[in-house]
Amino acid sequence: MRLGLVIDLDVCVGCHACAVACKEWNASGTTGPLSDYQPYGAEPSGVWFNRIRHYEVGEYPDSKTVNFPMSCMHCEDADCVTVCPTGASYKRTGDGIVLVDQNRCMGCNYCAWACPYGARELDRSSGTMKKCTLCVDRIYDQALPVEERQPACVLTCPAHARMFGDLDDPQSAVSMAVRERGGYQLLPELGYNPTNHYLPPRKHKPIPTGEVVYGAWAKVKKLVNRVVKR
Amino acid sequence: MHVVYRELEGRSKAYWALLLGLGAVLLLGLFAAHTMEERGHIITGMTNQIVWGMPHVFAVFLIVAASGALNVASIASVFGKTAYKPLAPLSGLVAIALLAGGLMVLMLDLGRPDRLLVAATVYNFKSVFAWNVFLYTGFFTFVIIYLWTMMERKMNPYTKAAGFAAFIWRLVLTTGTGSIFGFLVARTAYDSALLAPMFIIFSFAYGLAVFNLVLMAAYRGSGRPLGDRMLFRLGKLLAVFVGASFYFVLVYHLTNLYFTKNHGFERFILLDGGIYPLLFWGGQIVVGYLIPLLLIFAPATRNSRTALAAASLLVILGAFAQMYVTIIGGQAYPLPLFPGMQVSSTFYDGVVHPYTPSGWEIMLGFGGVALSLAIVVFGLKILRFLPESLSDDQHMEAQHQAA
Repeated sequence: MRLGLVIDLDVCVGCHACAVACKEWNASGTTGPLSDYQPYGAEPSGVWFNRIRHYEVGEYPDSKTVNFPMSCMHCEDADCVTVCPTGASYKRTGDGIVLVDQNRCMGCNYCAWACPYGARELDRSSGTMKKCTLCVDRIYDQALPVEERQPACVLTCPAHARMFGDLDDPQSAVSMAVRERGGYQLLPELGYNPTNHYLPPRKHKPIPTGEVVYGAWAKVKKLVNRVVKR
Repeated sequence: MHVVYRELEGRSKAYWALLLGLGAVLLLGLFAAHTMEERGHIITGMTNQIVWGMPHVFAVFLIVAASGALNVASIASVFGKTAYKPLAPLSGLVAIALLAGGLMVLMLDLGRPDRLLVAATVYNFKSVFAWNVFLYTGFFTFVIIYLWTMMERKMNPYTKAAGFAAFIWRLVLTTGTGSIFGFLVARTAYDSALLAPMFIIFSFAYGLAVFNLVLMAAYRGSGRPLGDRMLFRLGKLLAVFVGASFYFVLVYHLTNLYFTKNHGFERFILLDGGIYPLLFWGGQIVVGYLIPLLLIFAPATRNSRTALAAASLLVILGAFAQMYVTIIGGQAYPLPLFPGMQVSSTFYDGVVHPYTPSGWEIMLGFGGVALSLAIVVFGLKILRFLPESLSDDQHMEAQHQAA
């Protein structure tokens, strides 16, 4: 089994709800608390397992903003696991989730150097390294209804841009989505074989951003709108 | 050649003032470490992006210099240069002291230094960091055995073998230190096999610079004769190591400049990265390489002890600049997550990560330096590391014997 996330970049609107839900669940979870530094100060910051990047494709005005949620990729050959001197960073053989044993981490921070995705979170209060657990304390919780045994970020996403499942199972919804939509891994050339995949934005007809030339039907609609507005 | 070794008397007020001063700096360092442990690394300048800060600059410098300080002994025992033989015990002492200071800083800067026992008992043998734990302890062991064979007459026949083992180990140790950075594939600044040999040559220069200063201070302080021949010979050796370091740095940057994907990073370090180009050109290249070479070779200064001391000091200052650029600069440059794209976010994506070292970090770093120097100062008082005389006559005698 290889549990992971598939994120649809076509529908992600960058609302940060997944990041907030992640913080809310994990602050009291097994790796909690997720410390906040100056939460009400001028420059609030803190530990977040899930962060949303934004990047521009193309040149303005023919550009598009892509929202790119990023958390631990739960790599098959995770370098953070390789470099950890005490073995505090480890990959579970059963489901492939990469975790940090909070009782064994001595805070050398070397894994943060090694992770190419910047997915490691140094908790400067506890002195240990933390990261996305794929809500491991939730997805196996028998007390929860089956449909709620998913990571908090997946459950909360209003656009259903996030999917969770077994990427080893070719018939799972996540595997099929990756297959049908040309899902890809981030920085595959490094060879760490990340489990999480991204579904690329679909090609859309460009929305004209120059001066709009109105046809006859558009002129009628415009007139009606003006009348209605009065 | 018969060399008489004798302890420092260490009864003067100046000696105790020095030891007390070093002790005070060490205590300040320990206080800083205690405060960081109590209040968390939030009080340091370190962030989620800059996870290794000023303490690592000090720690890596001391560890690298430690292996280099053993060089003088290696030249005598491994390469048979008898002129250096009288300096071998001091070389071993300085090496051990520098490593102890570096490790103190490294360990006390951990997020959870109380879990050091975990690091000492549980190993992931795939981790280059775990290899270094063995390399550090091995270095202590080999150098102590080496010192024993030099200082105990019955053990003298084994000095060459012990010196050879220590020499090989010090090369492996610095290969390990350089590889901590060289094995980092994710970072543009590193990911290069060149870093291991480059750190070895850095260690030669940094260790010898520290050794020169310790030697001159010890002989000046104790009023023992120290001949110009020996001293300027060490100066020339320092110039060779500084020149070789310069060469490696040139090759490293030329290689990066040849790879288009590294142009952004090179531009950052060499041109427009704020403090980093300033430290690279002004600190590492001019202060650390060019001025020391000038002082050692210029006709006006090549026979001056003050100039040699200044050159050694400048090499050390340049070393700190180099460590800052290598360690902090490498982290400050953003991760290339979306090459060719303009990335933005509320948490420093696509921008240079800021870092301002806190007073606590600097105090801890100097605490490590103080521990190293205190070990040397105290060691010279309790054991016979220093020859009574290193006059030119003795040096000539050694030269004749070798001939």
